[in-house]
Amino acid sequence: MRRLARWRRVPWPSILYVGAVLLFLFAPLAIVVLFSFHSSPRMAFPFQGFSLRWYEEIFTDVEVVRAMGRSAIAAVTTGLVTAILGTLAGLGIVGLSSRTKGAVMFFAMIPMSFPALLFAIGLAVYYRELGVGFSLGATIAGQIIQSLPFVLLVISATLDRFRFSLIEAARDLGAGAFHAFRTITLPIILPAVLGSMLLAMALSADEFIVAFFTAGQDKTLPLIMYGRINIKLDPSINAIGTVLLVVTSALAFISARRTSKESL
Amino acid sequence: MKPNRIVAALQLAPASVYYSALFGAPLLVLVAYSFYTTENFDFVPEFTLDNYVTAWTSEVYRTYFIRTLRISAITAAVIAVVAFFYSYVITYTLRAHRSLLYFFVLVSMFGGYLVRIYAWRSIFGTEGIANSALMSTGIIAEPLDLLRNGEFAIIIAMINFYLPLGILPIYAAMQNVGPGQIEAAQDLGSSRLGAAGKIVLPLALRGVTVAFVFTFIATAAEWLTPQLLGGTEDQMIGNRIAYQFGAGFDWPLGAALAVTLVVVLAVLLGALFTVVRRWVR
Repeated sequence: MRRLARWRRVPWPSILYVGAVLLFLFAPLAIVVLFSFHSSPRMAFPFQGFSLRWYEEIFTDVEVVRAMGRSAIAAVTTGLVTAILGTLAGLGIVGLSSRTKGAVMFFAMIPMSFPALLFAIGLAVYYRELGVGFSLGATIAGQIIQSLPFVLLVISATLDRFRFSLIEAARDLGAGAFHAFRTITLPIILPAVLGSMLLAMALSADEFIVAFFTAGQDKTLPLIMYGRINIKLDPSINAIGTVLLVVTSALAFISARRTSKESL
Repeated sequence: MKPNRIVAALQLAPASVYYSALFGAPLLVLVAYSFYTTENFDFVPEFTLDNYVTAWTSEVYRTYFIRTLRISAITAAVIAVVAFFYSYVITYTLRAHRSLLYFFVLVSMFGGYLVRIYAWRSIFGTEGIANSALMSTGIIAEPLDLLRNGEFAIIIAMINFYLPLGILPIYAAMQNVGPGQIEAAQDLGSSRLGAAGKIVLPLALRGVTVAFVFTFIATAAEWLTPQLLGGTEDQMIGNRIAYQFGAGFDWPLGAALAVTLVVVLAVLLGALFTVVRRWVR
């Protein structure tokens, strides 16, 4: 009887609901991963067996491998530049009065909710007016704008919890400004800086819209994938999609673990 | 200026310059372009309002705008409801596991934009996964044409991609309402759903509004999802804008459509915020 009572107390409707939502969120991704290992080119059930043939195909395809290289360059550059700009700006924002701080953060967050399509065509028009050609560099410059708000958000959240009395104490004890920064501020904010850098890399690797309008011939991995979607039955797309997915989710996963307030 | 103010200004300078040069300036140029004239396949800085006249009076574009607002409103509303209950359940009912259940959502938010659209394409296709599963279990005899047939596939795919964007602000807003307040309401005779509606909803309403607004903006400017999952009758205004920057090759008209979209969104969502603020007070 007691066991029955405990069984009844389990919130089954809640568990079912959360399970259904998570299943809905991850099912499409799981399907792409599953069919990337399919031995048949057909993308339908019944499943006919496992094979690595699509991975062999994409890793020996010069077009795909080159695109992977470009995507890697874009991700690393975006990550580094955003982390530097975001950390500096985060340190600057902490020193402001709370009213100015609110206004600065509000403007800094605009690119996060501004539609990517409109930003991308704006960039395309801008480059045309400046006479700058479309290239990987042009795309990276835009992707930095898109990930900067996320980096700034993570860094300023960390700095908000930072006790500045530590710095004052160090300065009172005779430490120079740079020495205090290097030995106190930096070690405390470093996990957030690295975490947000990984997040920026994930955003860049997955980014499609800015790349579509500004990369020109320098096609990144999502652009190659897009180019193949309209060609009928190209099962290598599943493998490209899985590679993209594994890279971005791994980066986002590590980043979220490093930066989330409540550790798991 | 105090010395630490100067330091703060210097620290903010690089990011500010970068923002102005690569976000502010491009958008200003885009607005300027919406007044340009198209001549012999070239765009010249000759002031004209023709692009706006076309964007605002043409029956075709009005149809696109109305369809876009309808699809976005449905998507954002469904997301707000699903996200509210997800946040509610993980914050209160499954409280012990809330960090983990939130973490899953957070991770799924970053990555997989194109991969998801592609996945839905293969799920909904005539020879796709949904049809092959339904047919092999004998539920249907003939394949259903779910793709390029109405807005269903587009809305499902957009809910799938933008749901985390809705959960984020609602979950954050709920962290300010303790489980004690819910228990108190239940002790006073409120049902579980009643507690959700009467106690949590008003307190989390700001989060729900932000979730609706974020997803509405994001979906109203969608173009890839309708392009890959919808038929010609389901295309959104983003598709028209992208077309003018591609095969249509009329950038000034595309720019005018883009500016119009931003103005429409700002007016609608500004009105929404005003209504919600009055209601809460």
